[in-house]
Parts: sequence; C-alpha cells; structure tokens
Amino acid sequence: MESTKKFFNKVRDNEFYKTWFKSAWTYVTGAILLALFQIVSLASTGNPWGVSGTLATWGAWIYQLIGGSVDKWYYFSSVGAQKTLASGFLNDPGSIRNLGIIFGALLSSLLASQFKFKKIKSKKQVVAAVLGGLLMGYGARIAYGCNIGALFSGITSLSLSGWIFAIGMFFGAVVGSKLLVKYFM
Amino acid sequence: MNEVVLDCFGEACPIPIVKSENKLKELEIGDILIVQIDHSCAMKNVPEWARKEGYNVEVEEIDDGEWEVIIEKTK
Repeated sequence: MESTKKFFNKVRDNEFYKTWFKSAWTYVTGAILLALFQIVSLASTGNPWGVSGTLATWGAWIYQLIGGSVDKWYYFSSVGAQKTLASGFLNDPGSIRNLGIIFGALLSSLLASQFKFKKIKSKKQVVAAVLGGLLMGYGARIAYGCNIGALFSGITSLSLSGWIFAIGMFFGAVVGSKLLVKYFM
Repeated sequence: MNEVVLDCFGEACPIPIVKSENKLKELEIGDILIVQIDHSCAMKNVPEWARKEGYNVEVEEIDDGEWEVIIEKTK
C-alpha cells in the first residue's frame, strides 16, 4: 500500500507525465491532430467526420429495440440511412468513432487525474442543460450537422456551406451568451 | 486589502469568467479574488483573460480536478 502510494507520487512529479497526460495540449497541437484524423476519416470511411448524425442513428436503434419502427420517417428514408440502420452498430464507422470519443475522453480525464462527478448547483442548471441539449440536438439535425459535421467537415471538404455555417454559428454564439448572462447567471 | 472567494464549482464555461469579471469590477485595487473552479476549460480561460488584463495571476490545483485561480487586482 505504502509503496504504491510512493509510486504514484513519483509519477505525479514526472516531467513526461506532466507534459503528456496532465497539462492541456496547445491549440496548435490540437489543430494539427484534428486535421490529420480528418484525413484518416475521409480516406478510410469515405465520409468526413460527423458526430450528431450517429446519435440520431443510435436513437433509431433504441426505438427499434423497444418495438418502434422508423421506416416511414422522412429522415431515415434515404438508401444510405436505411443501409446504416440495417447493417448494425459494429459495421457503422460513425458509431465506433463516437464510442471512441466517449472512452477517449474518459481515459484522458482519468489519466490527468481530473475525473469528477460535479454537483448540481441549482434548478436553473438543470433547465439550461435540458433545454440546451434539446435545442442543440434538434438544430444539428435540421442543419444536417453540428459544429463538427457541418462546420469543420464542411470547411475541410472545401464546401461553401461550412463557411456559411461558421457565420451563423458566430452570431448564434453572441446571442446565446447574451441570453445566458441575462437568464442563467 | 480584501480577500474575496468566488465559488464557481459546478459551473461550466463561460459562467466562471463572466462572474469573475463582474466581481473584480466591485473590488478595490490591491484586493485579491480567489476563483474556485472545477471545469478544465474555465481553468484555461480565466487565468488567460486575467493575465491579458494585466493582473497578477496564480493557479493552484487544490484537489483532483479542482483549482483556485488567485487574481490580484493591480490596477
């Protein structure tokens, strides 16, 4: 017991540990890695990176598990969407990648020793989280993408839509932060 | 010299930075503001903002994933 404690104390002060796992990486490092993995995504799956579309697919699978059917839904009517739904979780690159994001985020916060269950401070926080989540999810689907699928992947695919999304997102964030300060502070 | 503690535990970005900005306006020159944070993104942008304003800033990890950003209002 005493020796393991000693070991972890030694790890905590190790320069290598501090640089790689404890401190946040720079924005430039992040940008380069995002660019590299975007290329890997496009080359290996044929599609640029997206997050929220996969979440809609997960929702459809759960709905099917409890006996529902999305066959008549306009959103899932395309051949591609039907194929993804039929071929299952393990054959969907987006699902595997989203799983990777969840476990990767957990792992990195555990390695940095920053994992924490945060206490809920007020009812306002609950309202803001639920309302924000619903609006973000709904918005991402009617815009065919979130800030990853529509913005990042749009711009990296040299699509004009990505830049238009960027302008919309900028003004949306301005309005959003004004509302936040007014109603949730 | 006054020392004020601002409890921002459980608050996500950008609330800690907005709260610190408002609180610092009320303080006198020479006063110390201690912002308690448990959100790693706020831990990056609160010190960054305060240093850009020209205040003396120190960050201390008081527990796993909990920080205190100590800001001295210098002007």
